Amino acid sequence: MRIRARQTRRRVERITLNLASMIDVTFLLLIYFMVTTVLAKQEDRLSPTLQTERESASGELSDFQPQIVTVLLVDGQPAYQLGPNIYRDKQALREALGGLPKTAGVFVHVHNQIPVGFAVAAIQSARDAGFDQVTYVPAK
Amino acid sequence: MTFGRSGHREKMLLVDITSMIDVVFLLIIFFMVAAQFARTTRAELNLPQEPGEQDQQAEEAGLVINILADGTIIVNERAVELDELAALVQAEIDALPDHDARQVKLLLRADRNNDTSRLNQVLIRLQDMEVGAARLATEVPR
Repeated sequence: MRIRARQTRRRVERITLNLASMIDVTFLLLIYFMVTTVLAKQEDRLSPTLQTERESASGELSDFQPQIVTVLLVDGQPAYQLGPNIYRDKQALREALGGLPKTAGVFVHVHNQIPVGFAVAAIQSARDAGFDQVTYVPAK
Repeated sequence: MTFGRSGHREKMLLVDITSMIDVVFLLIIFFMVAAQFARTTRAELNLPQEPGEQDQQAEEAGLVINILADGTIIVNERAVELDELAALVQAEIDALPDHDARQVKLLLRADRNNDTSRLNQVLIRLQDMEVGAARLATEVPR
């Protein structure tokens, strides 16, 4: 008596999954985000100390006199005044500040009606000239 | 003369696109994260184009005060007047452990095309509150 094991044939059912639509949607999303992404502009900062006009004129700081840069309108155009000299651009101001003593710092006295970019450039010039202590004095 | 079957078998071209799908999803996630979704604190304006202090240390921005070209003060997407701005700054000071106004972190983002009248008003008000320093945001020129 022969006993032969039956070899049952199993059919392996293949499950198919159509990914074509998913890939289409995926690429659409990718293109959307690539187009709508707005890269932020790089920002930095300047950190001057603050002082009002009345404090800066009181002479309470120290025996050393700080440099004073006045940002004002001269003949209707913004300019920088350092002592008796008038400068129209920040490079000239930076060169002028570069040769001055920096121990007591610099006061940037900013009048009204001056473009903000022009006033901030004065602070940047003072930093670039090597001044660690830069004080912003807003005019009233 | 017999002709046998040419015996063509249709071969299915198998292309494994698993890796490509992985990369595509990674790219999607990257652009989703990199996209600037509604930056609520920083208003759209033209900052002064200066390199700044170029300090590599990352610093907390604190309260961001935006001054637009027309003089409007924007804080957290809301237009405020000087009195309300002072109240917001005072709230920041009160939130500090030692309530020291000199330690409060403020970031002033003023449009470069605006004149300094509004900026000076804000700074004078801050100085009256004994805020010792204010950081002026700049846009690093390319």
